[in-house]
Amino acid sequence: MSISTPGGPERRPTVVSTGKKPAAGRPASGAKAGSGKPTGKPAGSPRAGGKGPRKPVTPVKVSQGRAWGPIALFVAVGVLFVAIVGYGAWATFQGSKPWDKRANAIDGIVNIRKSDPDSLKYESHKSGPLTWNYSPPVGGVHNAAWQNCMGDVYDAPIANEHAVHSLEHGAVWITYRPDLPKDQVDKLAGKVRGVEKTFMSPYEGLDKPISLQAWGYQLKVDNADDSRIDEFIKDLRVNASVEGPTALCNTGITATGTTPRELQQQPTQ
Amino acid sequence: MTAPATTDSEHDDDIPATPDEGGRAPASRYGVLALAVMLVVGLLLGYAGGLLTPRLTQPGDASVEAGFARDMTTHHAQAVEMSLIAYRSATLPEVRQIAVDIATGQQGEIGAMQTWLREWGLSPTGSKPPMSWMSDGATVTDGLMPGMATPQQMTALREAQGIDVDRQFLALMYDHHLGGIHMIDAALDATDNDEVLRVANTMKATQQTELNNLRQLQAQAAKG
Repeated sequence: MSISTPGGPERRPTVVSTGKKPAAGRPASGAKAGSGKPTGKPAGSPRAGGKGPRKPVTPVKVSQGRAWGPIALFVAVGVLFVAIVGYGAWATFQGSKPWDKRANAIDGIVNIRKSDPDSLKYESHKSGPLTWNYSPPVGGVHNAAWQNCMGDVYDAPIANEHAVHSLEHGAVWITYRPDLPKDQVDKLAGKVRGVEKTFMSPYEGLDKPISLQAWGYQLKVDNADDSRIDEFIKDLRVNASVEGPTALCNTGITATGTTPRELQQQPTQ
Repeated sequence: MTAPATTDSEHDDDIPATPDEGGRAPASRYGVLALAVMLVVGLLLGYAGGLLTPRLTQPGDASVEAGFARDMTTHHAQAVEMSLIAYRSATLPEVRQIAVDIATGQQGEIGAMQTWLREWGLSPTGSKPPMSWMSDGATVTDGLMPGMATPQQMTALREAQGIDVDRQFLALMYDHHLGGIHMIDAALDATDNDEVLRVANTMKATQQTELNNLRQLQAQAAKG
């Protein structure tokens, strides 16, 4: 302590007083010398420390124009970095958008929840044949029994009365014209099989070859290759559920036929 | 302040041409160092703030949200048991159908509520008595929250046969849902947590629809 204290005060004034003046005084040599590039007389001054002799060696080649190679490299790496991070951020942002925002952004989707919410309201389950304003129906009153929607691929038309109940449970229902070519049907089936909360069936009288339904949403397309089909399934499957993500798709009706069925009486226990 | 630093500056003073250079370099070096330290400290503060903010803003141990999640789990658990009894033993297929739907739906909601508690860093068990989070002071009798069946009622349901299972289940579940909606409303009034609001709203809508369906089935079961 006692040794270093005298050094301190001595040193401070030199830093403060000389710090400004010389900078203005000798801009030509001094300004650059500071950045480690002594020009003509480096040998004279840096007797002070051990660093002196070393400095002049390296700077010699730095004085050739700009090093475009490294600059280009840094710019390229920088652009790449920004692009990767930017894409990641964008993808994350897109993926974290609420499902209904994403669904509404699908080109051609009809949002009945918005355009006709009353058509989706109902008091309680109703048995027997029912009618709806949309074809195929997209929600509203339905039977007590739901159609099984554990990725079921039905090869014949099914009852709307059960299918609408499946929509309420968050299922996406793919319907297609019975005359849709087999390879197109197979493509659709590939999107359904094994995927719970989806089911598909042929449907008589569709105004477009393929129609997709979720509770309150409908999208009609011409072709099974249409990428909007995958978007519709991704955005609305489970999400469109009125009763939360765990409403059932099993223990439902597995039979085909457009006449609604009564549930089978259980063999008495 | 260390010895080497002092000697350095002394050397600089010896040579008239250099003190400025010797004096300036450390000054700017300290400036850079200070900037770096400030940057690091700033980043650490920002990181700490980012870590702490969700902690400080999420529901705490005595919050309405935590109370709701804990008590509604208990409430739901009984509904799941009643529903699985009905799914196994009821006579009317519609009753078995709605029972299994209630059982899986409510078990799913239990999963959601338990996940909240874990995410909030809270125990699934609270230190306060059940229902104390409800501002209107709903009463707990014999540990039972609004609408819950008594142990005697549960025993009777387990032992019931034939259409009696349907009738008892429908009556018990009707009251159960009424009490549940009462609790859900209390949570909806008190919380501004988006996730709790979303799930509680779904819960309420589902149970209200189910009330209508239960009543309809009661009429059906009364006939036999």
